[in-house]
Amino acid sequence: MPMKLLECDTVIPERERHIYVKEAGEDTTQYLPVSNAATIPGTLSERGCSFCGAKLVIGGVLKDTIQMIHGPFGCSYDTWHTKRYPSDNDNFQLKYAWSTNVREKNVVFGAEKLLKKSIEEAFDAMPEIKRMYIYTTCSTALIGDDPKAVAKKVMAERPDVDIFVVECPGFAGVSQSKGHHVLNMGWIHDKVGQVEPEIWSEYTINFIGDYNIQGDTFVLKDYFDRLGIQVIAHFTGNATYDECRSMHRAKLSVVNCARSAGYIANELKKIYGIPRLDIDSWGFSYMAEGLRKVGDFFGIQDKVEALIEEEYAKWKPKLDWYKERLQGTKMAIWTGGPRLWHWTRAVEDDLGVYVVAMSSKFGHQEDFEKVIARGREGTVYIDDGNELEFFEVIEMVKPDVIFTGPRVGELVKKLHIPYINGHAYHNGPYMGFEGFVNLARDMYNAVRSPLWKLAGENIQKEEAL
Amino acid sequence: MTTQTKELVNFIQERCLWQFYSRAWDREENINGVLGQLGELLSNQTPKLETPMDRCHFANANHLAREVRSAFPWLEEMSPDSLTKLIGGVMAKLEEITITKSKNGELHTQAY
Amino acid sequence: MSCSIVQKDRSGIINPIFNCQPCGAQYAGMGVKDCIPLVHGGQGCSMFVRLLFAQHFKENFDIASSSLHEEAAVFGGIKRLDEALLVLARRYPQLRVIPIITTCSTETIGDDIEGVIRKMSRKLKEEFPERTIHLVPVHTPSYTGSHVSGYNVAIESMVKTIAKKKDAPNGKLNLFTGWVNPGDVTLLKQYMSEMGVDATTLIDIESFDSPTMPNKDSFTHGSTTVEDLESTGDAVASIALNRYEGYSAAQYLEKKFNVPATIAPTPIGIRNTDIMLQQIAKITGKAIPDSLVKERGVALDALADLAHMFFANKKVAIYGNPDLVIGLAEFCREVELEPSLLLLGDDNGAYLKDPRILALQESAEHDMEIVCNADLWELEKRIKSGALKPDLIMGHSKGRFVAIDAGIPMVRVGFPTFDRAGLYRHPTIGYKGAMLLGETIANTLFAQMEFKKDREWILNTW
Repeated sequence: MPMKLLECDTVIPERERHIYVKEAGEDTTQYLPVSNAATIPGTLSERGCSFCGAKLVIGGVLKDTIQMIHGPFGCSYDTWHTKRYPSDNDNFQLKYAWSTNVREKNVVFGAEKLLKKSIEEAFDAMPEIKRMYIYTTCSTALIGDDPKAVAKKVMAERPDVDIFVVECPGFAGVSQSKGHHVLNMGWIHDKVGQVEPEIWSEYTINFIGDYNIQGDTFVLKDYFDRLGIQVIAHFTGNATYDECRSMHRAKLSVVNCARSAGYIANELKKIYGIPRLDIDSWGFSYMAEGLRKVGDFFGIQDKVEALIEEEYAKWKPKLDWYKERLQGTKMAIWTGGPRLWHWTRAVEDDLGVYVVAMSSKFGHQEDFEKVIARGREGTVYIDDGNELEFFEVIEMVKPDVIFTGPRVGELVKKLHIPYINGHAYHNGPYMGFEGFVNLARDMYNAVRSPLWKLAGENIQKEEAL
Repeated sequence: MTTQTKELVNFIQERCLWQFYSRAWDREENINGVLGQLGELLSNQTPKLETPMDRCHFANANHLAREVRSAFPWLEEMSPDSLTKLIGGVMAKLEEITITKSKNGELHTQAY
Repeated sequence: MSCSIVQKDRSGIINPIFNCQPCGAQYAGMGVKDCIPLVHGGQGCSMFVRLLFAQHFKENFDIASSSLHEEAAVFGGIKRLDEALLVLARRYPQLRVIPIITTCSTETIGDDIEGVIRKMSRKLKEEFPERTIHLVPVHTPSYTGSHVSGYNVAIESMVKTIAKKKDAPNGKLNLFTGWVNPGDVTLLKQYMSEMGVDATTLIDIESFDSPTMPNKDSFTHGSTTVEDLESTGDAVASIALNRYEGYSAAQYLEKKFNVPATIAPTPIGIRNTDIMLQQIAKITGKAIPDSLVKERGVALDALADLAHMFFANKKVAIYGNPDLVIGLAEFCREVELEPSLLLLGDDNGAYLKDPRILALQESAEHDMEIVCNADLWELEKRIKSGALKPDLIMGHSKGRFVAIDAGIPMVRVGFPTFDRAGLYRHPTIGYKGAMLLGETIANTLFAQMEFKKDREWILNTW
């Protein structure tokens, strides 16, 4: 049976609809895991909340914007020092976390006054910063505060500031995904079109769905600079608030993360007629493919080929060195969702690595259509995997390395399986040509570490080691 | 479905993202646009690139043409009629997989 | 010399020092064996906290969520809580304790946790007649207190729910450690063993430092058992090492079961450790052994090499949990460091009446400022303006950018300390802890001296 009920799930049999083992000759019209559905309570699911998807993933990346979290301070504390997205603005976005510090009396009497005061204090404390995102959280959504009205008042009083409000309480939706959606739709409808960018190139793009993890954006920006392509807005890696308000002026939207930001790309096409071009910016061959497509769109193929030749000369020998040594390595990917379909084919084509199990926290069925189309037979595809399922799947497929978050990585370490931080990388960046070599290097160093063999040695045995 | 249609469909399924856009109408637009131009390119014609969407389809179609020419040398030998039939068959099958028979429940939601 | 106690004068927060209550409650629950804390709220309330603990300990901890979704805002979250309890009990056959930790959403909605517990205890007993699963109500909305009080509330709730009096005095000492690290628990167990005291460590987190084993069967878990919690009612006495973390449970046991409760001064530094040991000796009738006097002597010996030569007159800024901050300030005084700025990170009014703070105030021979309800912007703005030029910062890793950007040496202490390796494995309390603190401070200052070429040449003949 291609839809699989794991042993640890016999008491929650509905999980069978979420786990698929691909067999020859099947396609996604027959079997497609249920996704983006309500979480079963108490399963130790890997999902986070809607607020996380809005603030931590997308909004918090902006390099010049105060992130005012309207709620008790925990939401602020928890989304601070947990991401690795630098910027060329002295990493402003990594250093600060703001909260309106909602207390019990505010839950009883309302917190709009508190919000206004906190906004003013924040702008006063950092007079060079003129932009702000406000996020609602569980409590402020429940008490019915109207942060948009407060923001409006402040903008009227301080004409040099601009504020964007995202209503993304943690209990909304079923995972981080709701937060992505709310932020994307709010931004395109409230803010895009308000700023006119200075155009210096006839080739203009938005790069959508890349958040500059360990400098990914810098890698891509370098390619576009060399091609003479102006990135009107990177959404949102190393971006400013106002750059993202200028997205309506690009001729093309190049999309990497279709899950978190496909929404705004769709709206830009619907409202402004800007075509959406999906690429994979992870993957050595994929990067060349993506650049070639952009080149074809603008008719600058020669420039693109020259760049690709340069990059191949620099990095392909290193990639191949790793490929030779990683051939046949079995990999598992337990991340948010899109990296499943970005990486499964890329690691196979570029490194000879086979992905044997994948779990998505917040992917939709669209993500599973992609990953199953690209993925191998015999591989396990899981929607919203939980901890006991992970143990069972490891027994089934015996991966050599797992790309996942640090906490789950600590769990599998006990099973003598190395992990690579699939969200924030070990030693990135991982995008682009050099990035995939970095990924290969980390993978190679992980699997060949002498520590795993040592871990398995039983020194109490009578025979000498 | 002929073997050749199947091979081409499988290849596209494994390699292309444009068939998986958010809604049924997006997928249909892309399938028609990209495969339409693919047919033209494989018959050594130059697609008309008038609108931004034309150029976007071309970006996808041109790369696909390169890849399928390399993967399936028998494409070279095909008559224009067979090619048209093949492309038609691939379009139909892709529409079936990604739209009409797709289990993706979001495809027909009006709003993005 | 002035010592002022001020309140942060802003309403909002820039760079919070603490996490909210549910975090502390989860920390307490994690330390119990065969226990999976269940956080009743949005998924972030548990997921973010699991990440935080993974950052600090480099370990995974099992914490469940009731995964509150939107319909709960209208209909309440009881159904999801009911289901979560059944799913947990059914999938984890060893489970014996489930603390139900509320959050701001479920407290605002007003879910009747006690009602759920009554109903579900019956249901679970019906389905699993051979099992007893203790369901503990832990009320910890995020809009009161902080992770400090959350920990305190959870310990008290678990004791309240599980402690028994069998009228069989067991001669044990209830040792409420407060929010400490596994290295601290190791030290306390060693001390109790050397004194011959039979102590119940609450909460025993020594096993958080879990190994990788050849047969792959290692799993990170807490070690305080249901039996440990039950036995607290028959103990000879309770001692709480942190006034704001665990004392409420001791007070409960005193009131309910006549188990006398003592507060020790947070045992950071020589003097505080002395007092704690003397208190324990008095309560239990056991003598302080020579081995501890020797350990004390080794620590003093080490600190004497450092205090007046390197530490004297150096200004220190300290932030973190209140007991930790006070204890560190007292330790600083012992070794002639000047705790010039203390940041207490929530609005608990009790800090202002804490006798230790009043004593610090009175005995101040240098300028000292204590900021209540503080955030880390209070530290940053004082440094940026030049109002304070600390020679050393002591606090948790979330303040690291202040130290890095200002080029001020920083010793990571408290929670979380994720940007340094292995700190949780070593004690901050006790004589050994004092010695390690002193040496860590010294080595941090030495590294700074070399980097800044500030009389680094004197070190090669020290």
